[in-house]
Amino acid sequence: MEKIVREATDRTPAVSFDFENGIFSMKGESYPEDASAFFGPLHQALEEFLDSEFDAPIIFDVEFAYFNSSSAKVLMNLFQLLEDAAESKGKKTVINWHYNEDDDTMLEFGEDFSSDMEHAAFNLCILG
Amino acid sequence: MLAKEYYNFKKSLDEKGIMFSFSGFVSDGILFALGESLKQKMTIDATDPNTTKKVFSVFVEQVQNIIRYSAERVEGEIPTKVELGSGTITVGYEGEKFFVVCSNMIDNTDVEQLRSRLEIVRGLDKEGLKAYYREKLKEPPEEQSKGATIGIIEIAKRASEPIEFDFEPIDNNSTFFCLKAYI
Repeated sequence: MEKIVREATDRTPAVSFDFENGIFSMKGESYPEDASAFFGPLHQALEEFLDSEFDAPIIFDVEFAYFNSSSAKVLMNLFQLLEDAAESKGKKTVINWHYNEDDDTMLEFGEDFSSDMEHAAFNLCILG
Repeated sequence: MLAKEYYNFKKSLDEKGIMFSFSGFVSDGILFALGESLKQKMTIDATDPNTTKKVFSVFVEQVQNIIRYSAERVEGEIPTKVELGSGTITVGYEGEKFFVVCSNMIDNTDVEQLRSRLEIVRGLDKEGLKAYYREKLKEPPEEQSKGATIGIIEIAKRASEPIEFDFEPIDNNSTFFCLKAYI
């Protein structure tokens, strides 16, 4: 699958989906006019990738300064794909949630998301 | 006369500590532009960055609710799809707290469902809000609502006091709805 790269905008994060190496990242802010329109194609691509034969570890780095509630829902759906792939297909999936030490909001969001991850590794990583 | 009328209008807003006030049709572009100005103003005033983020977050959820759910709305393809909802957006500072108040018309048939959602959220403490948020995060979006509940929880989580809301019946079809959050 061809690599997906999107530059950050004021309202959408930088995205890099490197399917060849199983390395994914999102960084920035997210409050697009239509969260499903922005994240839908990414969700679909990730789903397709997780159905492939790729068997090396899959690393997903996430670093947000802000996202709205619609984005939170679609992010949860993305992480759920990684959790399901780890549970039902035995894939090794790792989510690294990067946040600033003094950003209580992003720490709490990280805890919210990680509470549903049993098979995917979800690491809370302080930026420094 | 003209200047006096609008000076009095401005003064009455200033006296209530209002930093921004908007009334009319709200587009997504207005959300973005007002949100940027709000962040800039709060940053220049040396507001605590965490407070600025909370106010901004409440602002975004509230304004998106107007755009999505106001019963007074227009939509068109000109040529891209545009959705405008009418309402009011007010951000101010009162008694050492920021507040965001938004209001818009809703259909009478939607009042009870919205009221019960708001009452559930208002009745929860910090831990309760956290648990309810996690529950809603996992749920598939409810039909029709495009995810309003999670937005209301987000507002309540960022607020430093229980959210305030009110409904004013207007006629056989419409009710005026208002939501205020202090941060």
